[in-house]
Amino acid sequence: MSGPFRQVGGGIELTIAPGESAALRTVPRLLDSVGESGEDPAADRLDQDPYPDDPVAAEEFRRFMAEEMTQSRAADRSAFAVTVEQAPQGVILSEGEAEAWLRVLGEARLVLAARLGIVEEGWEDDVPEDAPPVVLLHYLGWLQQALAETLEESI
Amino acid sequence: MTTTPRFDEITGVEVDLDRPWNVVVWNDPVNLMAYVVYVFRKLFGFPKEKATRLMLQVHNEGRAIVATGPREKMEMDCFRLHRHGLWATMEQS
Repeated sequence: MSGPFRQVGGGIELTIAPGESAALRTVPRLLDSVGESGEDPAADRLDQDPYPDDPVAAEEFRRFMAEEMTQSRAADRSAFAVTVEQAPQGVILSEGEAEAWLRVLGEARLVLAARLGIVEEGWEDDVPEDAPPVVLLHYLGWLQQALAETLEESI
Repeated sequence: MTTTPRFDEITGVEVDLDRPWNVVVWNDPVNLMAYVVYVFRKLFGFPKEKATRLMLQVHNEGRAIVATGPREKMEMDCFRLHRHGLWATMEQS
């Protein structure tokens, strides 16, 4: 058990307060707001180039992988959106749903950080700690860490 | 019997098709240490000690090679790391 997550038969039980669930409901909208690579720093961070010195190989990789990436991200977001609505009543996440949560929380953090211009270690001291995106960034991190630790118990 | 000319003989580009590829994970200031350890364990089946050592190498040295092998397989590993939001690139060893 870690934070609001607990291993139970059949999955991971999640118990959160209504205020937390309201914050989490903003996450799908945040991810939907990500624009195009080259125009939105969040898109540049999510849609990575594995061949920074080889544009031909990079284009080929994108051609083969982009569709699968888009589809699997959409599946994660949809699993998250459904279960986050059930969270205030208490919900048991399957392992697949818990993995989807883990990735969605991570993506949301990368999007928030990219838009805050965070590129270096030590950023915690340079951002206004009460600003809503910063509060959300820390909260999602706390949640993601607790979920990773809970999932790790059953590896 | 004959042989086809090597790719680098035709193009002048030095590419050794047999040389394995590495997947490199780079440090980023956002992903959490505990999450990175979990992803390494989940994707590569590393024991906790090895996953932690690699995570610390990424954190302290800025990068670490997490997988080595044939190009197509390494591209899949790179894709799975991207899928988890980790910053990963390919390099030929």
